[in-house]
Amino acid sequence: MVNLNETPVRTCEHFKINNIKLENVLFPNEVEEFRNINISKVHSNVNIDSKTKKVKLAYGLSEILLEQINNNSNANINIEINSKTNNESKIEFKLDKDNLNLIDNIQITANENTKSTFIIKYESENNIEGYHNGIINVNAKKESEINIIVVNLLNEISNNFLAIENLIENNAKVNFTIIDFGGKNTISNYYSNLIGEKSESNLKTIYIGKENQILDLNYIDELRGAKSNANIEVQGVLKDNAKKNFKGTIDFKKGCKKAIGSENENCMLLSDTAKSLALPILLCSEEDVEGAHSTSCGKIGEKELFYIMSRGFDVKEAMKLMVRANFNGILESIKNEELKNQILEEIDKKID
Amino acid sequence: MSKTYVEDINRNVYDIKNEDNYDYKIQKGLTREIVEEISKQKKDPDWMREIRLKALEAYNNLELPTWGPDLSELKMDEIATYVRPKTGMSNSWEDVPEDIRNTFDKLGIPESEKKSLAGVGAQYDSEVVYHNMKEELIKQGVIYTDMETAVREYPEIVKEHFMKCVPITDHKFVALHAAVWSGGSFVYIPKGVKLEMPLQSYFRLNSPESGQFEHTLIIVEEGASLHFIEGCSAPKYNKVNLHAGCVELYVKDNAYLRYSTIENWSKNMLNLNTKKAIIGKNAQVDWVTGSFGSKISMLYPLSVLNGEGAKTEYTGISFAGEGQNLDTGFKTIHNAPNTSSVVNSKSISKNGGKCTYRSLVKISENAKGSKCSVSCESLMLDDISISDTIPVNDVQTDEVEFSHEAKIGKISDKTIFYLMSRGLSEEDAKAMIVRGFAAPISNELPVEYAVEMNNLINLELEGAIG
Repeated sequence: MVNLNETPVRTCEHFKINNIKLENVLFPNEVEEFRNINISKVHSNVNIDSKTKKVKLAYGLSEILLEQINNNSNANINIEINSKTNNESKIEFKLDKDNLNLIDNIQITANENTKSTFIIKYESENNIEGYHNGIINVNAKKESEINIIVVNLLNEISNNFLAIENLIENNAKVNFTIIDFGGKNTISNYYSNLIGEKSESNLKTIYIGKENQILDLNYIDELRGAKSNANIEVQGVLKDNAKKNFKGTIDFKKGCKKAIGSENENCMLLSDTAKSLALPILLCSEEDVEGAHSTSCGKIGEKELFYIMSRGFDVKEAMKLMVRANFNGILESIKNEELKNQILEEIDKKID
Repeated sequence: MSKTYVEDINRNVYDIKNEDNYDYKIQKGLTREIVEEISKQKKDPDWMREIRLKALEAYNNLELPTWGPDLSELKMDEIATYVRPKTGMSNSWEDVPEDIRNTFDKLGIPESEKKSLAGVGAQYDSEVVYHNMKEELIKQGVIYTDMETAVREYPEIVKEHFMKCVPITDHKFVALHAAVWSGGSFVYIPKGVKLEMPLQSYFRLNSPESGQFEHTLIIVEEGASLHFIEGCSAPKYNKVNLHAGCVELYVKDNAYLRYSTIENWSKNMLNLNTKKAIIGKNAQVDWVTGSFGSKISMLYPLSVLNGEGAKTEYTGISFAGEGQNLDTGFKTIHNAPNTSSVVNSKSISKNGGKCTYRSLVKISENAKGSKCSVSCESLMLDDISISDTIPVNDVQTDEVEFSHEAKIGKISDKTIFYLMSRGLSEEDAKAMIVRGFAAPISNELPVEYAVEMNNLINLELEGAIG
């Protein structure tokens, strides 16, 4: 049994949310090179190499998973951004029977005054028991802006572990959009260190859990710079016996005068056996800040459902429309129409 | 702009120290011999002695919590768990020794008894020194007495309920409580009896380097109604004192209980208290809590909504100043359909104090149609204090309405500006905002206590507009 994804502060153990305990998960020791990577549309001002770089993480999922990346990674991607025009690059990983295990280390440096967008997609063939353990490490230098869309469309029998860490300097902005639809166990950690004055971290996540999927999301924003700004917005759907733990921390460190932090999670329950556990943490050691969090949870609105059905849709169609509507605010941040359509199709498939 | 200065709570009344003049004080520490000696001193029946020994074993097997405030300064070897004052229990203030009576006089207990209470219990160190109730309530079958008398006179009821609501293995300090408990109140409200005026128990710890472990057991039968008030205080000593009380509430179908607490322990007190209510069909328990004192508090009352349509409300305020770490909150478990809970928590941190709101809301699989709404607000009065919010929301079924909101921040400049544009000075505007912040809680308290609380939050504002 392994303990993963510890929260920054602990609460009573009976509440079963300080970490997630997983049994019967194998962490492959020896892995071959991962060949099914597709990197496309890279602007000439973006440099990519595949040197191995050792990483240290402030949080991460666990020591074991970090060591695995430092010792056994089979896909290393180092990116340096020098471009001022916002070009979109795509990195696509596809797990198949010849590439079952992906241990990827993605290091991104957004140099001063640059702007960039990345789509990082994880997919898998059906019926393979894949394994993914990855790190995305972003250093956003002064005045830079980086948009990253992470799409997890792995199948429901593969394990998925992902740790994201951002260091955000003065006036820099990191926008993450995470689409978490796949994985038998999807365990993810997101940490932003907002050291810069007026630095900004925006994280938007949508998730769908079905059958026996387990999601454990541990998001942490530490605000250090004056007037820094952190937002976490999570919209999710759970059906069948799916289980989700959402842990979100907004931590106002001393010195982050006039910082603003907000956190909002909303979980729609489509079955009476789905389980939603949420721990929205606010930590505050600074006076002149504004912090707010809210979480809510409940059944799909019957009135709205009835209204849509009265317009000639069947229950499934009506549900799909409502889920799409809930996710719409976040999906709007995806400018790539092809990707957006793929996500919408996946939503329909999942709700069916 | 200058900072809002909020004065420390004026503790004059609470800090009156009487000479540590006891009839019997057990040696410090916690061993089987000490527990057996307490049991002997208290003339326990065998079944109670067995509970104590079982609890001691549980205490030794349980670990300290791995979360929350640091409790390393608590050295059980330096704490006397039983101190018997030099007096027996009486039902007339005249018979209470003068020094002890004076203390309670200054705390205003006998006076409010005359004016607004149906009954009063007063505990001094480990034993209850005064207990009295209005004549007509006795005729209605209401029982309000100290726990020791209850063990003696109503053994069947006590046996059935004592440490059954809160299991002795719940956590380390409940086990400690059950091993060395002494004093506290027992209340029994018969079916259909509705008390117009509240009952109040006041707990005063005078002896240094000691602990208070009172047990409160309240049974409100079907359709009955009660307002119970609990107050506590102690003078300040240099060494740590410990309070590990336990409150067990049984509120049967259609019954109502309001449980109000004004906690104002001295700032050397570790307050590790446990409170739990089991609530029947269409019954309701409302908790109103003000936490001002203690060095460290860990207190999270629990409402278990076991009957269909059961309700609970928690209204709480914490005020942490220099050197204080108040880790408080609320737990509720929805175990039946159509149950509801409402939580309204506020905290103020100043002068390096730390307030933590920690909570659990659990909606079980069979609690269909349940509703829960939680709101927490924290006010930071300077940049050396800390305010944390750590709420767990566990929803296990779909037909629920659940929402949780929390806010943190300082006094809004805009609001101050608005009030000033209406002719208030900056000081008055700030004072008004802080009082307004606490108002939803003080409104829930009986008048005398609201006044006491307003005195506790005694605002002194200084400085000019800059």
